[in-house]
Amino acid sequence: MSQQVISYADLSVINSALRSISADMSGVHSELGTLNFKQDLLENELTKLADSFADFVNADIKHKSLQLAETRQGNLKQDLQIKFGYYAELRRMATGILQSVDVGIVGDDTLRFTTEEVMIKAPGYWLAPALVALAAWIRDDRRTNEKALTEALKRDDYKTTLFFLLLMRRLQRNDASLKWLERYFMHQNPHHLDREFIVILEAVTTGVFPPAARQFMMTNVKSWLDQLTQGDLFINEQKIQWIRFFKTLGPLSDGKYPLLGKFSTNWELLEISLREAKAHEVISDHFKSIVAASADFSKSTKVQLDEILSLLVTNFDDEELPLQEQVRLNQLIIQMDGDKSAAQAVMAAEKDIFSEKVDFLQLLTNASFNPELSGVTKVTQSLAVSISQPWITEAYNTYTAQSRNSIPQNIELNIDSFKASTINGSDETELIEKQNTYYQNVLKIDLGKLSFPYEGVIIGALICMGSIWAFTLSVVAGLIGLGIGGVLIWNGINKHAKAKRKIIEDLEERKRKANEVLRGCIAEAVDYRIEHTTEDVKAELALQLLTSIIPEDFSSVSRETARNII
Amino acid sequence: MARIILQHSESALDTAKKQTLSMGFVSDKDLLKKRSGKYFDVIAGLDAKSLTNTQGMEKLMSAIQEEFGTAESASLPLGIVSKCFLGHPYEVHTLDLSGSQIIKHYKINEPMEADFEKARTLAKHNAYSMVEIYKDKIILIREDGTATKL
Repeated sequence: MSQQVISYADLSVINSALRSISADMSGVHSELGTLNFKQDLLENELTKLADSFADFVNADIKHKSLQLAETRQGNLKQDLQIKFGYYAELRRMATGILQSVDVGIVGDDTLRFTTEEVMIKAPGYWLAPALVALAAWIRDDRRTNEKALTEALKRDDYKTTLFFLLLMRRLQRNDASLKWLERYFMHQNPHHLDREFIVILEAVTTGVFPPAARQFMMTNVKSWLDQLTQGDLFINEQKIQWIRFFKTLGPLSDGKYPLLGKFSTNWELLEISLREAKAHEVISDHFKSIVAASADFSKSTKVQLDEILSLLVTNFDDEELPLQEQVRLNQLIIQMDGDKSAAQAVMAAEKDIFSEKVDFLQLLTNASFNPELSGVTKVTQSLAVSISQPWITEAYNTYTAQSRNSIPQNIELNIDSFKASTINGSDETELIEKQNTYYQNVLKIDLGKLSFPYEGVIIGALICMGSIWAFTLSVVAGLIGLGIGGVLIWNGINKHAKAKRKIIEDLEERKRKANEVLRGCIAEAVDYRIEHTTEDVKAELALQLLTSIIPEDFSSVSRETARNII
Repeated sequence: MARIILQHSESALDTAKKQTLSMGFVSDKDLLKKRSGKYFDVIAGLDAKSLTNTQGMEKLMSAIQEEFGTAESASLPLGIVSKCFLGHPYEVHTLDLSGSQIIKHYKINEPMEADFEKARTLAKHNAYSMVEIYKDKIILIREDGTATKL
C-alpha cells in the first residue's frame, strides 16, 4: 500500500507550491527593498528635520542671547552711568582743563570751583584731587595743591604720577617733570614693565625730557640690568632670540656653484654653511645702520606722550573695569549676532593684548628687532642695542662659533658613481689620477663582461677541420667548407672586436665628460673655500663693530638731539 | 589701584640661586669671564715643550687653578685643545687636565679622544686661541681673553 502511495505521489503540487512560495518570497524581498528605501528616505528626512531643529534651537539661543545682551548692555550702561557717571564727566573736564591751560582763557575761580565740585561728586576717583591740585597749582595755592596731591597719590599713586609726569613735560617744567619721572621709575618693576613704559623710554632717549632725565634713566636702567642679569635665565632667553635672529639673516643661495650643487653629496651642508658665513656682512650692516641713526624723532614722541595723557584721563579706571568688561562683552555679543562663545574668544584675546607685560630685557630685544612694531624710533632702537650689547655680542660669538663648527671639512663628490672627497680642491692631480684609475677598472670590468664568441669560432674551426678532411674527397667541397668556416671565425672575432671598440669608445667619452665635471667641481671647490673664508673673516669685523657699541657712545647722539630741542 | 613701589619678591629668588651656586652650579657669567693674560702665557708656552718635567707641570696646574679660582678638579675643564705651532704635520695639541695631565701633539688626521675631537675644527680656526673642554660644553677663548660657550 505504502509503496503504491509513493509511486503515485504527485510531486508537481508540492513543486508548484514551492514555486509560488519562492515567487511570494521574491515579492517579499522586493517589498523589503522598497521598505528599506523608504526607511532611508525617512531617515534622511528625520536628519534634515533634526538639523533644522538644531539650527532653530541655535538661532533661538543666539536670538535670545542677542536680546539679552541688548537689554543687559542698556542696564549695564545705566549702572555705569549711575555709579561712575561723574567719572566720565570728570574725564571730559580733565581734557577741557588741559586745553584751557594750554590756551589760558579760563579764570582761576572757575577752575577752582569746578574742580572742587567734582571732588565732592566723585569720591574715591584719583583724577578729582589731581585736577584740584592742578587748579591750585595754576593759581599758586601751595597748601591746597599739596593736600590735593597727597590725596590723589593716595588714591592711585601710579596714575597720578604718570599724569603729572606727562603734564609737567607738556608745560615744560623740567625740574618738576624730572622729579615725577623719578617717581615713575620707582613704580616700574623690571620684570613686569607696563606697555607705556616704552614710550616714556623713547621720550627720554629722544630728548623730550630734560637731559638730566637721561642720566637718571641710565642709572636706573643699569641697576635693572644688574638685577635681571644676575641669573642666567633672562639673559639666556635673549641670547637664544638673538641667535635665531642672526640665523634668519643669511642670504639665499645665488646658484654660484652649479656643479657642486649637482655632484656634491653634501651640498646641502655646504650651502647652509656658506649662507651662515654670508650672514656676517648682513649682520654687520644691520648694526651699522642702527648705530648710525640719529635723526630727530622727538616730535612724534611728543604726540605719543600726549596720547598717553589723553588715554590716561579718558581710559577706564580699575574699579569700573568689571562693569566696562561686561559692557564690552555684551557689545561683542551684539556684534556677533548673539554668538556668545565667539564674543568670549575675542574678549579673551583683547585681554591678553592689554595685560601684556614684559621684562626689561625682552622690551629691549623687541625694540632692537622691530622698532616699528614695538612703537619706538631708530633712536630708541640704537639705545636698546647699545644696552643689550653684552649679550648681543655673546650671542653673536656663539652664532659664529656654531657656524664655524659646522663648516663641512670635506666636499664629497659623486660623479658618474666615482666617489671622491676634497678639502679645498688642492689635490686636483691626485683626484684626476684616481678618476682615471676608476675608469680603467670600469673598463676592465665592462670588458670582462663581454664574452669571447667561442661558439662561432669553434663551429667555424670545426667546419674548417671538416673541410680539410673533405679535401680528400673533393677539392671544391673542401674549399667551400674552408671558406664558410673562415667567414664564421672572422665574423665572430670581428663582432667581438667591434663590441670591444664600442665599449672602449663609450667609456672614453664618459671619462672625458666626467673629467671635465671633476675639474669643474674642483674649481668650484676652490672658489667655495675662498668665498667661505672671505665671508668668515667678516665675522671678526662685525664683532669689532659690536664690541665698539657702548651706551655712552650712543648718548652723544641723543644729547645732540636733546640740544636741538632745548 | 596703587602699585607696590619697588617690588622685592625677586630678590628672595636670587638668594636661593646663590645657594645653588656653591652647590656646584656654575653661572654663565662666571664661565664666560675674560681669561687673564697670565693664563694665556702659560697655555701659549705649551708648544715650547718647556713643561715636560713634573715641576713645570705643577706650575701649569697651579696657574690654571688660580685662573678658575678653585683647586677642585670637578670645576676645572677636562682639558684644553689649541692650535699647534710645531709645524707640519702637527695640527693641534691637547692638555689633559683630568688626571693624567699630559700634553699631546696631534698630527693631521690623527684621531683624538672623543671629548677633544669635537673641538678640533674650532681649535684650528685662527679666531680662537684655545678651546676649553668640559663634559657638557666647550668654551672658546679668543686672543683677547673673551670666552664663548658652545
